[in-house]
Amino acid sequence: MEVAEVEAEVEKKATATRSRLIVRLAALLVSHSTLVSVVCCLAGLIALLVLPLLAKNTYISENALLPGSANPVLSYQHVTQANNLIMDIMSIADDKQAPDIEIPKLIAKYMEILGAETYHHKFSQPQNQFHPLYFFSSSPNSPPTLANLSYGTSTVGIIRAPRGDGKEAIVLVSPYNTQNAGGIDASASASSIGLAFSVFSLLSRATWLAKDIIWVASDSRFGDHTSVSAWLNDYHNPNFIGDASSTRIFKRAGTMACGIVFKVVEKERREKYEDRDVVTLYAEASNGQMPNLDLLNVVHYLAVHRQGIRVRIGMFGGLVKSHLVRVLGEVMQQVGRFARSLNPDWRFEMPSSEYVEGTATLASSIYSQALGVPTGPHGAFRDYQVDAVTLELSPRFSLKNEHTRLAFLLKGGRLIEGTVRSVNNLLEKFHQSFFLYFLTAPNKFVSVGVYMIPFAFLVAPLPIIAASLFNLTSNRNPWRWLHTAKPLLITHTWSVVVTLLPFYISKISDLPSTHCMLTWAGGSLMALVILYIVFGSPYSKHVEWRLLKAVMIASVSIGLCLMSIINFATAQIGALFVVPMCLFALPIRVKTNNSLIRSMVMTCNLVMAVLGFPVTAVALMQGVIKGFGTVSILEFWDSMKFLWGWNSATYLYLVLVHLPCWLLFLHILFHPCR
Amino acid sequence: MASDPKGSQLRRILLIFFSLSIILPLSSPSPTMHNNNWAVLVCTSRFWFNYRHMANTLSLYRTVKRLGIPDERIILMLADDMACNARNNYPAQVFNNENHQLNLYGDNVEVDYRGYEVTVENFLRVLTGRHEASVPRSKRLLSDEGSHILLYMTGHGGNEFLKFQDTEELQSHDLADAVKQMKEKNRFKELLIMVDTCQAATLFSQLQSPGVVAIGSSMKGENSYSHHLDPDVGVSVVDRFTFYTLAFFERLDMYSNASLNSLFTSYDPTLLMSTAYYRTDLYERPLNMVPVTNFFGSVMKTIPTDSAYPGFLVAHASEYATISAETETARVVLEDEADHSKTYDQSEKGLQHILDEWLKLLEGKLGVKDPEVLVAYGLGSMVLLLTISTWLSS
Repeated sequence: MEVAEVEAEVEKKATATRSRLIVRLAALLVSHSTLVSVVCCLAGLIALLVLPLLAKNTYISENALLPGSANPVLSYQHVTQANNLIMDIMSIADDKQAPDIEIPKLIAKYMEILGAETYHHKFSQPQNQFHPLYFFSSSPNSPPTLANLSYGTSTVGIIRAPRGDGKEAIVLVSPYNTQNAGGIDASASASSIGLAFSVFSLLSRATWLAKDIIWVASDSRFGDHTSVSAWLNDYHNPNFIGDASSTRIFKRAGTMACGIVFKVVEKERREKYEDRDVVTLYAEASNGQMPNLDLLNVVHYLAVHRQGIRVRIGMFGGLVKSHLVRVLGEVMQQVGRFARSLNPDWRFEMPSSEYVEGTATLASSIYSQALGVPTGPHGAFRDYQVDAVTLELSPRFSLKNEHTRLAFLLKGGRLIEGTVRSVNNLLEKFHQSFFLYFLTAPNKFVSVGVYMIPFAFLVAPLPIIAASLFNLTSNRNPWRWLHTAKPLLITHTWSVVVTLLPFYISKISDLPSTHCMLTWAGGSLMALVILYIVFGSPYSKHVEWRLLKAVMIASVSIGLCLMSIINFATAQIGALFVVPMCLFALPIRVKTNNSLIRSMVMTCNLVMAVLGFPVTAVALMQGVIKGFGTVSILEFWDSMKFLWGWNSATYLYLVLVHLPCWLLFLHILFHPCR
Repeated sequence: MASDPKGSQLRRILLIFFSLSIILPLSSPSPTMHNNNWAVLVCTSRFWFNYRHMANTLSLYRTVKRLGIPDERIILMLADDMACNARNNYPAQVFNNENHQLNLYGDNVEVDYRGYEVTVENFLRVLTGRHEASVPRSKRLLSDEGSHILLYMTGHGGNEFLKFQDTEELQSHDLADAVKQMKEKNRFKELLIMVDTCQAATLFSQLQSPGVVAIGSSMKGENSYSHHLDPDVGVSVVDRFTFYTLAFFERLDMYSNASLNSLFTSYDPTLLMSTAYYRTDLYERPLNMVPVTNFFGSVMKTIPTDSAYPGFLVAHASEYATISAETETARVVLEDEADHSKTYDQSEKGLQHILDEWLKLLEGKLGVKDPEVLVAYGLGSMVLLLTISTWLSS
């Protein structure tokens, strides 16, 4: 008898092992869903906080670049010529005789002396409109209508490479503002032109050019970005419709290998004494796209190791002073020290000050990418898949002194010369190094393989929780989720309506932003009510709250994963808000045994119901970054207008993923629990 | 007798001289004599930043040309054209030193395979001689069983491979197979393979054909480094191994007798930043007995003829053989080389006419087929030798 029993047991085990391992593993995870989700979320948060520790030093991975291998040959002769140009521009600006016509003429004259092909590019101000269908497309610019609008004039010069094949070009952009030619930073603005001219005059005699050089002295009266993006649009979309009599000359020079935007900024009040010239790098383009890391590395290498210029990137100064981050830094240092005492090979110890700076820089990097708005004219290049970077050079001494100005121009010019020569050596597009990265210092980066980990940890519990909730429902019908699909469908239809409403609101001109905001809110509410009247209440008797939550979690995880592909940084920040909402959602009327846990969860729920609302969430984000004093909820309309004006996908995320999630969260919160 | 070293030396030389003059024409046909030199110089990498590989190869090209290998016996393969690259600050010139003293791409550079012609396939075809019928003679390695071949390769390599053109690889067993085919087809007598690349030593691991000596710039796991950067051109212009090889050859001319051993031991690992590795187990001759000019130079052999017609050459054939054999003897003994030649000169002066007389007599008699007569003459010469030596020592 006993033997037979044992045999039967063995057989049972054998059949159990025959069911596939992955299925059993999934079942195990689902049955321990609460534990798994708590562990995963904690791991995600910790992984996010240790990202500055995991940053690696940057390195130049493209062999062909050879930065700094050639001696710079920019001399005082070039700089002195450039200084003459600066003087001429300043005198025109002082005379105040139509500088917007005279300065482009002057620049063109100087370009022609060097033997460059020259033309003027005229562009008008684009109307900042809401284009719901233009998201993700390269350019929303309509063909220019120069009829009776005010227009800007950029001056463009092209040097052909003497022995190059003329198929590739490097673009130098120096923005200047003719409207403000006599203004405060006039000398700095003129110095940008001078800097470009000194490099341009050197390159016009260079024998080693393999790519043509285009210098765009862009008129930044409508902002730096507008002129560059208008020029790039005309460059890439030839307009043949115009009548033959129009004598608009537009010359081209092949595919762009890289764009270098540089402007000189003289800081009036320095925060602290600088012992060196400083160059600040701006790299973020629209929707969190970054130029190839090699481009930043080349600039950083040449600036630091060749010209002795300090390199800065964006950093949130507020976070450096924050006590919380400082305490975290101390903790990280202690943990690193402890780990090292356990095993000397574990070298992730980092001084707390370095951690604090790394965190502040990383936060700035993530925020700039998450916003999806380019941080400078280089963003216009990225729309055409051209790697570009903006260098903001600020001198140590005043530019009013001629000697210091010449020295500064020489230094900055050599930096740009070196970068151009390095890119000139390229044989292919930038492709070797990373495109997906966050920076924690000018020479430290977190690559995609590392920064995916926190997000993966945060999102991983979502499908597990959804599956376990689905199993917990009393209804055993496999199609039971169809009933809950209705509220989901209503919510998402509503969110599409909310997305499109601003298009119609912005048609009504001359409304102050507060009114627009109120109209948008009112319209959205009305749309929701109408949808409920048409489709019926979301709380029908088949809709269990668990099923509703499961469906909500499933839809949110799909939305987050989609967004992580479009703009990872947005998804990363969004997950910090949305994932707790998904995990904690619990109806107020639900009956539980443990009242302590219930009250805690309820408090969390109510807090999240307030903070999870997109308007407050955005205000909270901006408050953390910029300080709470400046934030007002009524500015939401303006910030949203800013986002869609730049075609940022963050707007779509906020309205199409975050907003429905919040609404479903409220549905669950107020579920009747019959 | 020790008091008269000069005399004994003289005797020794005469002894060698006479015995050789008798024995050589009689001995059975020995392995074919070294009678010509070829060089195959290969630069395998493209792209501007690999400027130094082309400069390496062109430097070697210039060196072997200077040391006497004529252009028609050099197969030069260059995978890219740096001289005409738009990035070149000095159009149509290639330098291997930042002092720009020497333009390697001057006149008389005959590139046999260039650009995308430099492939593994073409390289193996050149070595094994399996060309399509349309390939001109100038692009073929027309070596024979008496050839000494120098094979120089540079580029980017790794463990047991050398990269060609950024797309293909030559693996160590490909190279070994080609060399084996060459041996089977009697395409060389001796082959020197010189490779300047990372982990060059691994490329030789599969070689098994006799008569091959190989040297590489680095051992397994080591990189080969560039020597210096030219700040005007903006690239590295020469590799360390090649730089020091060239430095060695700059001191030599085509009459120098520096041995392969002295070349191989001249590499200083601290300067090279890698360990030069040479493989000699397939090679019979001791390295210190082989002049570098056996590979890097050319056989300098003039054939004196009284008449352009072969029928009249019979009388001179053996004389010629004698002289060449004697030169060989003198050259192989490398140590105290200078002393030897001095003594030789003196003896030549003093005994010139006697020798000439005796030789003429010998030659006259050698025509006779009867071995007994030959033996008699041989004994006679021994007697003569004995008399002379006694006379000299007294």
